[in-house]
This record gives sequence, structure tokens and C-alpha cells, in this order.
Amino acid sequence: MKQKILIVPCSGIGKSYGSVAREAGYVVTEDLCPEKTRLVPLALLVLGGEEAASELGEAKAITIDGCKHACAAKVVAESGGTVAHALDVPTVFRRHRHLKPSGIAELDENGHKLAQVLAEEIKERIDGTDGEVRHG
Amino acid sequence: MAELPKRKVGIIACSGEEMPEGTVTRLAALRVLESLRPHETVTICLPLFLAGGEGDRAFARFHPTIAVDGCEKRCAARGTEMYSGKPAVSIVVNSDRSKDSSLMGTARRLTAMGMQVVDDVAGQIVTHVDQLLDLKRGRQTGQPATGLEILPEPAPRQAPCSCGSGIPVTTLQVAGREVTFIALPFIFEELHQAGKQPDESVQNELMQAVKIYNSVPDGNEAAYAHAVMQEYVAFCREKH
Repeated sequence: MKQKILIVPCSGIGKSYGSVAREAGYVVTEDLCPEKTRLVPLALLVLGGEEAASELGEAKAITIDGCKHACAAKVVAESGGTVAHALDVPTVFRRHRHLKPSGIAELDENGHKLAQVLAEEIKERIDGTDGEVRHG
Repeated sequence: MAELPKRKVGIIACSGEEMPEGTVTRLAALRVLESLRPHETVTICLPLFLAGGEGDRAFARFHPTIAVDGCEKRCAARGTEMYSGKPAVSIVVNSDRSKDSSLMGTARRLTAMGMQVVDDVAGQIVTHVDQLLDLKRGRQTGQPATGLEILPEPAPRQAPCSCGSGIPVTTLQVAGREVTFIALPFIFEELHQAGKQPDESVQNELMQAVKIYNSVPDGNEAAYAHAVMQEYVAFCREKH
């Protein structure tokens, strides 16, 4: 049985992009690819050590960041994980400028649409390789 | 005149994306940051302690912090202590297990009961914020507030996020070893703009401000004061 791909979204609470990243993570793991993916909370990885290592295992991770700090990608890498793809919301937004998100606790319609677009991009990368993500 | 950054309480939520309690931490923190105590609180994303710079890691030394966790792993509290500084307060959602977790909803969507827990946790955070800042609400009656009253001031529409705030960090030689200080440029700027010359007359005032944001060990005060004063001399020289 193949290992599930880890989806690690930004856990930011100060910007709409963080909420879009999180929502995209839920769309991938609950709606689009529940059999192939698993959501991993970033907070647990921050602690590093054995806890982070056991959470990551040998599986590949797709990180979804909300800002230039790229916490998700950096923390997975620092924890010894394999970042197969590092995506970020601002880059996706630049390709879909009509979907400017707002709201943090409650994303607006554009935020949800942007999350859906991002999630579908992730699904394409996963499906295109039969569950094995390509290295970016 | 330059303003020394106002002392605020830092709220750090675990935001655990895999369980409803994690969502509770995030929404409760946001409620405090956006509505209940917008002028007294600030936040930073927990992972930024690892992914950010020294300025971000100085967060918990600059602000007394309240860590809000969704489970007993206490990632927010432990992560904050590991990278920045020990939180003043650690809250764990539903730590007494008085609420059935499954009735709170899912991490993605909380139920009405989940939102009630958000209210409860936000109330706990507010109580601790007021205690940490020694706020006295309802001064007209002399009664300290204990509840969830909303401040009369207009609330900002977004949580004050310290992401990448880069609280200035300065490393000085103190008695032959390197010591890291935070907020020195803010303090120097305020004194300089007030016309305070870098001489002995300003030393007490300078060190009082420095000690708000930095720990000065007993017995080393003279060495710390000497190093800080030298830095203030250099700061004033550059200004001329």
C-alpha cells in the first residue's frame, strides 16, 4: 500500500492567504483526494525531534504557504521531511487576480474559489503521477 | 516624537488543523485580536519561530505571551518556550474534557457548540490579557472587569499580526561576552528625540526602558548599563 502524501498547509492566522492555504488543504484531503492524502498540522512539526519525524515518516509532502516566509516548506524541510512540491497562495493568486480573497476567520466567496483552484492544481499533480507526486 | 512600542500581550494559537479544538484556538485568538482586545494584543504564527529570523524569535521576550493549544501536546506552549520564551499563560481547550469533542464539529466547520467553546476560550484569554497588563476596566466605578465587554474604541478589521515584524535585536559585548538585547533602537530613538544627551544623566532612564524588554541579571547591572550607554553614544553620534 502506497504511503499517503502529506498535505501541510500554512497555519497562519493573520492574513487571508493563510486561511486560503488551510482551506485548500481541507479541499484536497477531504473532498478531492481523501484516499491519497493526509493533512498534517504544522504546529506539531515546529517541535522537531521524534514527534515531527514520526509524523512525517518517509512520506512525501506538499506544502501550501500563505506568505513569503514559507513556514510550511521550511519547517517540513527542517524536520527532515521531503518537500515534493512547495506551493504558495500569492503565486496562485497572481494567476487568478479576479479571486482576491478577504476574511480570515470566515473566508469570502473569492477566498473559497481561490482555495478550490489551488486544491485542483494539487490534485492534478497527484493524479498525473498515479499518487506519486513529482519532485518540483 | 518616536513612540516606544506599546507593551502588548502576544497571543499564540496552535491552530491545529486536524482537530476541532485547533480551530477553536484560532477563532478564539482572532476574536480577541480583532474584537475584544484589539489594542492590547498582537499575534505571530507559531511556525515563524522556526522559519523566521532572530527578530521573530524575540517575540516572547518582547511580549508576555498566552499560548492557546487544542490538545495536551501543547505545541504552541512548548514551541514558544523552545524558540522564543516561556509563555506567561498556557491554555488548553477543553482540558477538563467537559465537552464532547465530536459535538464541536470538525476542524473545517465548527458546530454551535464549537462556537460556544470559542466564546469560552476567548473569555479566558481576555481575563489573562487584562491580568497581564493590569488593566482596570470600568474605572468610573473602580471595578476591575472580569467579563467579555467590548472596548468602546473602534476595532481594527484585521488581527494585528507581527509576522516578519523584525523586532530589532542588537548584540553587545557585556563584560566580555555577547548579550542580545531587543528594542534598543526604539528606546534610543525616543530618548534622542526627547533631547537626552548620552551622558550619565540619562543612564537611569535609559536602563529603566531597557529593562522593560530585557532581562538584566542581578549583580551585572553596571556592566549592562555601560554596554548600553556605549551603544547609545554611538547611536547619537550617527544621528549628528
